[in-house]
Amino acid sequence: MAFSAHQKLRNVCSGRFVAADEGVDRIDAVHEPGIDEKFERAINRGRRRFVALLGELGEDVVGADRRMCAPDDLENAAPDWRELETTLRTHISGGTYRLIDAGGVIVGRRVIVRHVFQRFAHALSYHLQPMATMDRIPVTVLTGFLGSGKTTLLNRILSENHGKRIAVIENEFGEVGVDHQLVIGAEEEIFETNNGCICCTVRGDLLRILGQLLKRRDKFDYIIVETTGMADPGPVAQTFFLDDDFKQQFLLDAIVTLVDARHIEKHLDEMKEPGEQVAFADVILLNKTDLVGAAELERIERRVRAINGTARIFRTQNANVPIDRVLDVGAFDLQRALAVDGSFLEPQYPFEWAGVYQLPAGQHTLRTGADTHAHHHHDHGHDHDHGHHHEHHHDHDHDHGHHGHAHDQGLGLVVLPVAAATEQALASAIESAVRAFAEEPVGVDCGGSLKAGPVLHAIDVNHEGGHFVIDVAAAGAHAIFCEHAPAEFNLRVEGTTPVAQRAFASHHHDEEISSIGITDPRPLDPQKLNDWLSYLLKSRGADIFRMKGVISLKGESRRYVFHGVHMMFDGQLERPWATGATRQNTLVFIGRNLDRQELEAGFHSCLA
Amino acid sequence: MSRVKTPNAILELRGEIKLDDYIVDIAWSTDATRLVAAGGEGKVFLCKYGESVLEARDVGQHGMGTLVVAWQPSGSVFASSGQDSRITLFDAEGGLLAQQRPSINWTTALAWSPDGKRLATATAKQISLWNPSLVLEHAFAPLASTVTGLGWDKPGRDLAAAMNGGLVVHRIEPPRFQLRHYKWAAPCLTAAFSPSSRFLATGTQDGSVHFWHLSTGRDSQMRGYPGRVEIMSWSGDSRYLATAADEQVVLWDFSGKGPEGSRPLQLRGHTDRIECLAFQPGGNHLVTGGRDWRLSLWLPGKATTALDAQLTVSEPTCLRWSADGRFVAAGERNGRLSIYELVRIV
Repeated sequence: MAFSAHQKLRNVCSGRFVAADEGVDRIDAVHEPGIDEKFERAINRGRRRFVALLGELGEDVVGADRRMCAPDDLENAAPDWRELETTLRTHISGGTYRLIDAGGVIVGRRVIVRHVFQRFAHALSYHLQPMATMDRIPVTVLTGFLGSGKTTLLNRILSENHGKRIAVIENEFGEVGVDHQLVIGAEEEIFETNNGCICCTVRGDLLRILGQLLKRRDKFDYIIVETTGMADPGPVAQTFFLDDDFKQQFLLDAIVTLVDARHIEKHLDEMKEPGEQVAFADVILLNKTDLVGAAELERIERRVRAINGTARIFRTQNANVPIDRVLDVGAFDLQRALAVDGSFLEPQYPFEWAGVYQLPAGQHTLRTGADTHAHHHHDHGHDHDHGHHHEHHHDHDHDHGHHGHAHDQGLGLVVLPVAAATEQALASAIESAVRAFAEEPVGVDCGGSLKAGPVLHAIDVNHEGGHFVIDVAAAGAHAIFCEHAPAEFNLRVEGTTPVAQRAFASHHHDEEISSIGITDPRPLDPQKLNDWLSYLLKSRGADIFRMKGVISLKGESRRYVFHGVHMMFDGQLERPWATGATRQNTLVFIGRNLDRQELEAGFHSCLA
Repeated sequence: MSRVKTPNAILELRGEIKLDDYIVDIAWSTDATRLVAAGGEGKVFLCKYGESVLEARDVGQHGMGTLVVAWQPSGSVFASSGQDSRITLFDAEGGLLAQQRPSINWTTALAWSPDGKRLATATAKQISLWNPSLVLEHAFAPLASTVTGLGWDKPGRDLAAAMNGGLVVHRIEPPRFQLRHYKWAAPCLTAAFSPSSRFLATGTQDGSVHFWHLSTGRDSQMRGYPGRVEIMSWSGDSRYLATAADEQVVLWDFSGKGPEGSRPLQLRGHTDRIECLAFQPGGNHLVTGGRDWRLSLWLPGKATTALDAQLTVSEPTCLRWSADGRFVAAGERNGRLSIYELVRIV
């Protein structure tokens, strides 16, 4: 905001200039005692006196050549008086314009009056024309791997009648509708900044283009940045946090990531960029859903969700999504409530699915794999764009083992006798199933038998058309708890179907990038929280892509809300907790190689 | 430092005109009778000034936006460049003389050598030298990063380019073109030789000023800025390097032992971010323009407060002194171009 006078003044007080010899810190702080006090005194004078002053002197200036508004306009406009006054107070010292006080030579009542009035009118104009000067320009960042549909979405946005004048910054010319005026080509250029933090990289090309766009800001009211398929979203997002001025001018609205449903699994397995693009997203469009089967889509969404637990996910074809899902989302706006996907914060289970079967006594056959089709995990024929990217991810070959499900260790499976073939009976078996899943698994090869009881089997699903024997001593209901959804392995019990079944939220994936959520009702100590977050930013900032949180601080009626991108951090006290509502801390971290225990221990150290 | 009770100079408005859009850049002709102004919408305006009358007409256009204009020192041509990459050469009446289009990238910097015999341009990573007829004299090998600023030393022998990772100085001694690197691991935005040619300074994206002693190569950093430092100006006597930190003018004193370990002069008076500043050529008066819609006149080292201030009707966007140090032209966000004369008070 152009007029955040108080903030500005604080900058003055805390601003220090340091001169150093060749990088050696020789800190020499400059303080201005008393300036805060003077400021406080100024704003404490009532507005009535000011309006009276204006009324008294107004006539003198209304006829002036540069008339901008009349005193009546001031009353009618009903701007935010407190803020306006705060602004104005800084310009006025005892009814005299500070400029005059500050050494202006043109002394004389009329000149003073005119200056006062102009100053007032100037400040007011910010309130009368909020679009022109005060609002921050929202920016949507579009990411997504090659062929995921970014350009389709962009064209859809640009052709839709939403009343926005959009400036587009894109990595290549020529793909977007030619009649659109403000399309600017960018060539990705990464800058490392030198502010003491190794991971603070920004996009130099964006800095330049945004700087130019500011000069034409009355010509548009929204910016979309389309990144290249291989782009790391981190530097793009950080560009908007780097500079105080940029923070005042631009508002990063959301990072929207398009995912090509047909190819995402392969991409996640083979490259780091697609995973990072998913991890950074506030909104994920699971696109081209018409090209994959329902079971595959379920599996893909679970995998995407495991990487990013907080993004809003929409399934789309041809990037067809209502525009309000991707623009004006407000994902970085601290004033809007932190939107965290509820299911992400549910208890987590080591299994993704359970079904209850009514089984007669005797031997039953559990089968996996397709009888006729080849295993679809090896069914990709999309190597055409592979060599193209190879040079970009050569340093990540060692990660391969961490991606995807660890099928080679077998699929975790527990068979438990339950009281009845009902959902309630299934629910009551969950606890013993969780305990069983904590045990060391017993490997079972194809043709082997599965025990009904609290035993974790690791069945071999690499074998095509696998079959296993379930020994049922006494007829009755049996629940099968499975590490992954049965559709992934075409898992079924021959001759029967489950009477009831249930899917579970599981974060038992081996993704290198994942989300970790913490919820806890106990209030936190502000200082401890500050220490912990500072430590976290310094030590793990490179690995933590995004973090968000709503915090209940001890003795504070308002909610503390924060978000961060790598080491860039923004947090403030927001609206109060609703009376009667349960105060609860909610924190989410998305990043690479996150350690849940470490994060939870850190969180617990902040308890008040 | 003593405060000057009676200011020794003030600014007096001599002319104003409203152009179409945001004024991105201004350049004066050497005799101060003409100006060329770059509009954010892309137009190039030739303005004539005389007898307090300011007239303008557009003479050219750069698609998407004009970025920079430059009048040949002691000469009768001027150049413009823009987001369409083109470099255009005009005569003093605005007639088109020549045009070049180095690539599809923005041509973001134009700098005439002080003798007016060469025009240096920067298009993305490419620096080129042209003769006054816009014929290519030399194209340097592309640099490692996009060039963000160009600056000549006073003799016109060295051309400095700012980019991410430091400054590169090109020694222009045709047919030899030697390069010297002044490395600094930050995105550097400006390249400014002191008029004495003893120092080379740059402002960075990380909120610091960095400078080199050219005789020894020794460098120093001055930190503490709240954001990027993209405007700076040397005083005519090379004593002060003026920069801005939000609403403060920050001046580093290069007299005596230099600014290392010292505190800068901090001049207060603006109430919002300073957008542009310029020292009087050959003199010591400084003019600043801020988002508080104000132009302030300062005499650093002699007065801690502004000698004078002029209110504008929108945000000032650029300030240029005429070569004789007599006039200042100010461009504004809304397209207003105004001319002030520095009037001395005896």
